[in-house]
Amino acid sequence: MSKYRHAVSVFVVLGVVVIAAAIARNLAIPDTFGEFGHYRGAAPAQAREFPLRHVGADVCADCHDKQKSLHDKDAHSRVPCETCHGPGAEHVKAEGDAPMRRPTAKSDCLVCHQRLAARPGSFPQIDADVHFAFVGVKDPSTPCVSCHDPHEPLYMDRDVRTARLHPAIHRCRDCHQGTMAEGTVKPERHPVTFECNYCHPAIVADFAKRTHAHVACTTCHLYFRESEYAGRIIRDADPRFCLLCHRAAPFRSANAPKTIDWPSHRDKVASGPTDAKKGCVDCHRDRIHTVGTPVRGAVKGAQL
Amino acid sequence: MTRNISRRDALKVLGAGSGLLLVHCGPIKPPQGEKEKSDYDWEKHSYAYVVDTTRCIGCCACMRACRAENDVPPGVFRTWVERYEVDEAGEVRVDAATHDDFVFGTTDTKVSKAFFVPKLCNHCKKSVCNQVCPVGAAYRTKDGVVLVDHDRCIGCGYCVQACPYGSRFISPRTHMAEKCTLCYHRITRGEKPACVASCPKGARIFGDLRDPQSEISVILKQQRFRVLKPEMGTQPNCYYLGLDREVV
Repeated sequence: MSKYRHAVSVFVVLGVVVIAAAIARNLAIPDTFGEFGHYRGAAPAQAREFPLRHVGADVCADCHDKQKSLHDKDAHSRVPCETCHGPGAEHVKAEGDAPMRRPTAKSDCLVCHQRLAARPGSFPQIDADVHFAFVGVKDPSTPCVSCHDPHEPLYMDRDVRTARLHPAIHRCRDCHQGTMAEGTVKPERHPVTFECNYCHPAIVADFAKRTHAHVACTTCHLYFRESEYAGRIIRDADPRFCLLCHRAAPFRSANAPKTIDWPSHRDKVASGPTDAKKGCVDCHRDRIHTVGTPVRGAVKGAQL
Repeated sequence: MTRNISRRDALKVLGAGSGLLLVHCGPIKPPQGEKEKSDYDWEKHSYAYVVDTTRCIGCCACMRACRAENDVPPGVFRTWVERYEVDEAGEVRVDAATHDDFVFGTTDTKVSKAFFVPKLCNHCKKSVCNQVCPVGAAYRTKDGVVLVDHDRCIGCGYCVQACPYGSRFISPRTHMAEKCTLCYHRITRGEKPACVASCPKGARIFGDLRDPQSEISVILKQQRFRVLKPEMGTQPNCYYLGLDREVV
């Protein structure tokens, strides 16, 4: 027997090493490893347990239904509540006691609306300096919310779907009558995007004589581009829309547009119950342009 | 009675013996883990992501939402927005709102074209990051999300180097690899990822490819799209609409 002793001891040592290695390996590999693939099978379930921080607009509407319905009909309708106000989970959990973010600084609005070359052209964007000069704001730190309510920034009472569908780029035949002659080529410097006066020369000419001549058509006729070829145009005659520029406010400079106090201004000039419902353009139409001018004029020299 | 065992025979027996032992103890058929508690079935979903670059306004609401939702430490990003500005001479200038205020400033570049490109983990079908992980901490779930197992990760950073999209980073807080999870805790509860839920322009679209009626299925069926770095063979699961050649 003694002559096998060397072999026995080798077996014993190797056996111990193998068993120890197997135990160590078993300890190192987690229980569920390899259940679905080369990873711990329990890991995905663990990843799912993380708490939610954003609750969604529907949860906000449970308490803030007024703001929600106001917000839903205006231009910011697609901006989720929590994009401006921050995640709401803690606010909901504390039943309203944990305050939400209430962004009111100019810089908060300019996060989206600062004019940048990379922003799509159809997105409303401003240079604060130019805009303030235009509406006569003297203090450059005046926050946007002084005039624009973020829940209804444009007072767009109408549903955008009922607004007028308006072409952005015309086809040849919209302006040029008749069939195209053979060999017709695209004229040099032919505009790709048409301007208002190409089709509405009478209105544009009339408008140029009025006090609002320096205002762009699209300032009041809000234009929402829907595709390469068409968008919706909205004529906003709501008095609140005029008041965006004409409301009396302490931050207006001396050369600001003429300001009024509303609705006391209307009450002062009202002479009967029908007047009490009047808006700005009911009396001040002459400041803008007359109605009844041909909507669509013939484009000058549009012959093939 | 004498019997001589050669060294070779002894090693053979030992080899076979230890092999058997390993087969017995090894992970070939491991004990079954805790069964799924919730009724969520990942076999029934296949998530994908679409970025419509023509809609992005570069407000970076997605970055703020991601940070808040996932508790991402400052200085690192699970998703980010890049700005490309091409000037008249064709020179491309790229920057990202990587400061913690996430606001793009104005530039004096005289651009001929400019646009924003939101980026995030592409959740590749053949993800490189998973292949290089030495401890099996990087994996792709059956519903199509590439995740990190933070109980396993040793923070070696191989995956960070391997990712061709720069989507991974080592968290300064945990010193482990971290990345976009597509908000796995949200999507498995039927919610949208925080970046998608917070986008005011609908530039980020998330959905389930198993549902042929979902917005994302319809978009991928009807629209022209591209993926980032297709030559890497990673088969990204994040699709871009209106992507410029400067980006791909």
